[in-house]
Amino acid sequence: MKIVVAVKQVAALGDEVEFTEDERDVDPDYLDFALNEWDTYATEEALRLCEASGDGEVVIVSVGDEDAEDAMRRCLAMGADRGIRIESEERLDPIQVARALAEVVQAESPDLVFAGVQSADAVQAATGTALAELLGLPRVAVVTKMELGDGKATVNRELEGGLVDVLEVETPALLTIQTGINEPRYATLRAIKQAEEKEIDVRQPSDLGTPAYEVTKMFVPPKGEGAEMLNGSAADVAQRIKEIVEECTA
Amino acid sequence: MARDPKYDILFEPIQLGPKTMKNRFYQIPHCNGFGSEKPMSQAYFRAMKAEGGYGACCTEYCSIHPESDDTHRVSARLWDDDDVKNLGLMCDMLHDHGALAAAELWYGGPHAPCMESRAVPRGPSQIPSDFEHLTYAKEMDKDDIREVQGFYVEAAKRARDAGFDIVYVYGSHSYLPQQFLTPYYNKRTDEYGGSLENRARFWRETIEQVKAAVGDDCAIAVRMSTDMFMGEAGTQLERDCLPFVQLVDDIVDVWDINVSGISEWGEDATPSRFYPSGRLLPWQKAVKDVSKKPVLGVGRFTSPDLMLEAINGGSLDIIATCRPSISDPFLPLKIDEGRLDDIRECIGCNICISRWEIGGPPLICTQNATAGEEYRRGWHPEKFDPATNADNDVLVVGAGPAGMECAMVLGKRGMRRVHLVEAADDMGGIMRWIPQLPGLGEWARVVNYRKIQIDKLKNVEFIPNTELDADGVRSYGAEIVVVATGGYWATDGLNGATHDTIPGADASKPNILTPEQIMRDGKEVPGNRVVIIDNDGYYMGVSLAEKLAMDGKQVTIMTHLGHIAPYMDFTLEGPNMHRRLHQLKVEIVTHQVPTQIANGGLTSAYAYDEEHLTEWEADAVVLVTQRRSNEALYRELKDKIGAAALQSEGITGFYRIGDCEAPRLTADCVFSGHRLAREIDSDNPDVPLPFKRERAVVEREAVLA
Repeated sequence: MKIVVAVKQVAALGDEVEFTEDERDVDPDYLDFALNEWDTYATEEALRLCEASGDGEVVIVSVGDEDAEDAMRRCLAMGADRGIRIESEERLDPIQVARALAEVVQAESPDLVFAGVQSADAVQAATGTALAELLGLPRVAVVTKMELGDGKATVNRELEGGLVDVLEVETPALLTIQTGINEPRYATLRAIKQAEEKEIDVRQPSDLGTPAYEVTKMFVPPKGEGAEMLNGSAADVAQRIKEIVEECTA
Repeated sequence: MARDPKYDILFEPIQLGPKTMKNRFYQIPHCNGFGSEKPMSQAYFRAMKAEGGYGACCTEYCSIHPESDDTHRVSARLWDDDDVKNLGLMCDMLHDHGALAAAELWYGGPHAPCMESRAVPRGPSQIPSDFEHLTYAKEMDKDDIREVQGFYVEAAKRARDAGFDIVYVYGSHSYLPQQFLTPYYNKRTDEYGGSLENRARFWRETIEQVKAAVGDDCAIAVRMSTDMFMGEAGTQLERDCLPFVQLVDDIVDVWDINVSGISEWGEDATPSRFYPSGRLLPWQKAVKDVSKKPVLGVGRFTSPDLMLEAINGGSLDIIATCRPSISDPFLPLKIDEGRLDDIRECIGCNICISRWEIGGPPLICTQNATAGEEYRRGWHPEKFDPATNADNDVLVVGAGPAGMECAMVLGKRGMRRVHLVEAADDMGGIMRWIPQLPGLGEWARVVNYRKIQIDKLKNVEFIPNTELDADGVRSYGAEIVVVATGGYWATDGLNGATHDTIPGADASKPNILTPEQIMRDGKEVPGNRVVIIDNDGYYMGVSLAEKLAMDGKQVTIMTHLGHIAPYMDFTLEGPNMHRRLHQLKVEIVTHQVPTQIANGGLTSAYAYDEEHLTEWEADAVVLVTQRRSNEALYRELKDKIGAAALQSEGITGFYRIGDCEAPRLTADCVFSGHRLAREIDSDNPDVPLPFKRERAVVEREAVLA
């Protein structure tokens, strides 16, 4: 059993934000970096399946510069076996990321491919699905539960309004994993130290194509005007709402 | 971050007579155990608040003459030129930070026992103190009055010479000027007693004389209690205080307004158990309404929004803080810098005050382990030296107050990685359930502050739901291991009264319970009649009595001591705790030692006659007898695995802190964790480094020559 987990080092905004001089990105000095939360759950799910199978390998893949290895090492400390980083210092769109990942994942011929539902910083929820397309794999998004069978998996997919879609998918398949599917383990200090010794293979990407979009400007939205805060008791607020509705409909 | 502009008013300067205070943050007079005789500790302690942004800081009560000697408690003193030198250092250090220095000139009258000076205090009438045992004052005649007023003038001049900018004529807490104002103390029939004009005469004349002596150089402050809560006998707001304010307003530069007398001054220094922040605002506003001068006052303000409300609501001009300034000397700066979530908020436990009440050991603080350690240990509440062994990884087992503090300080000292591992699903240890006792909600700030700080530290990771055994610790991969597994209440009645267990005490039975079982584990308290055995003497027994009585139980609390919860007299919680228990019809039984617990009740012996037994019916017995260290993990690591085996796993440092070492006050648990982290790179972190002691050292040759 081999499972490849695609992960991302994401950026979180601190209390204050400044933009780069070209106004197309946040100044990295104002960012904290960490492993994407969804990917923690994807890694845990992969580890559990491999541990249950008794014989398996979890391979962590990521696209990014050397700093992105910090996030990959978190996964290795949790117990993943090795990592492959595809070198890139560019800002890539999700399709380009998927192209970079596809070659590497293809060569691994995994039984399953996991990705997080989305990344906490870009929040596009596109990479996993794009990767499935490029690999020609069936894909299930927003997975909250899975059971592995022979050549297939039964998975729960989270839908709007608390609905759950239970379906069977043939494997190999690509699943995007939702938070809460499991309780991710913590890495001991020893595991963190051992993860520093684990192999991360660095590959150069081939042609990733041109980005489908580019950021032209990043800014803090100007404050809107005209909002009226309703204060006071529930009765006061209700009275004011009634007046506003009457004003608008008069 | 920048200051939120809505708080700008807190940072506007204000004129106090001849002096300008740079902002509205004032450290009210409060004791610290240093006085004039530990001048370095005194100066460093106050200067830390000035560094933290306070616009002015005051001494504690500052005696003007050996007749006002509060020994066994520690006050500042301005008796002679050497005191001027000693307190002058404090003034200089405050000035270096742009803060004003204030001296609270104090004459105690009958409340000053003069145990060191052996002088005889003078007072308005000859009635012994209601606060101190066996102290009488000499009833003052007119010559005495002139003489004591002269002491004020001379002390005010010494204060000015020391560098003080603000000089008090202090009355609050039932000291001499307020004694003259108050019928409870003043029974005179001459022109210093009787009518308000007469009762006010001593204070008015004294203010006039001090003003004439130093008023060109110093702001004159008057601190007055505006309600003693004693009915007709005590000072009253409308009858006495507001007319007095109008009488002397022209010669006063700033009013410091509070409430209470001395014997129940917990009405002023309010424990959070009984009062919210800002409880004095109505009295402060009443004075501000009739005065043309700035009014300052306390209210245990930790929230800048409440401070704003006090100023914008016309109650105060200056926000005075005592306990919040101990808990966080950098309160003003943190508001200024928009770092509100870094404020270490006072929890209102009054453990600081307890030290003065005990008689003047250095103050301590539950929230701020560095309080009082600024000089003698060189600790700064906001600055942490990188550890010389910062390339080590640390495992802290247990996220109670000690473990959290230790992990946080180790993080701030830059250790490579700190893992704070906890068996429960969140941080807090005992401080998760203690704040659920009646009135103790604010105590949860101990957890909240540390949780936020730990979350910000990238090198500290919190790991919940993980109970480590000795092998788990051994193989965890840390170079330094700190065990902070806390303590527990004895389940067998072991206690400090008999140094033995209580026959029949066994908390595995349904009718015998410990505090954790009730508060944390949800064990049901059976039946109606509950007897709480309290050999502890602090808050746990009475808090449970209050809780169970509120739950509808018929509660008896029994102690071997002569008085229930004696430590709560030190924290000023005692009087209202007694009122509360009385109101809830809790039966208090003293001087009784339990001898046997059985189904349906227990037997006790009178403490001074073991033959004299009493039977008590009880459906449930709660054991608040003593605590024990939860040291199983520590013992297994130390005794079964051993230092050598740990060393072979790469564990070079192995320590324990907090209740796991010995049960103690939460303030001391926090200190324990802090101390270890501050000294983690010393030669032997297990043993605290010596602290600087301020004492006279003899010059033997000179003496013997």
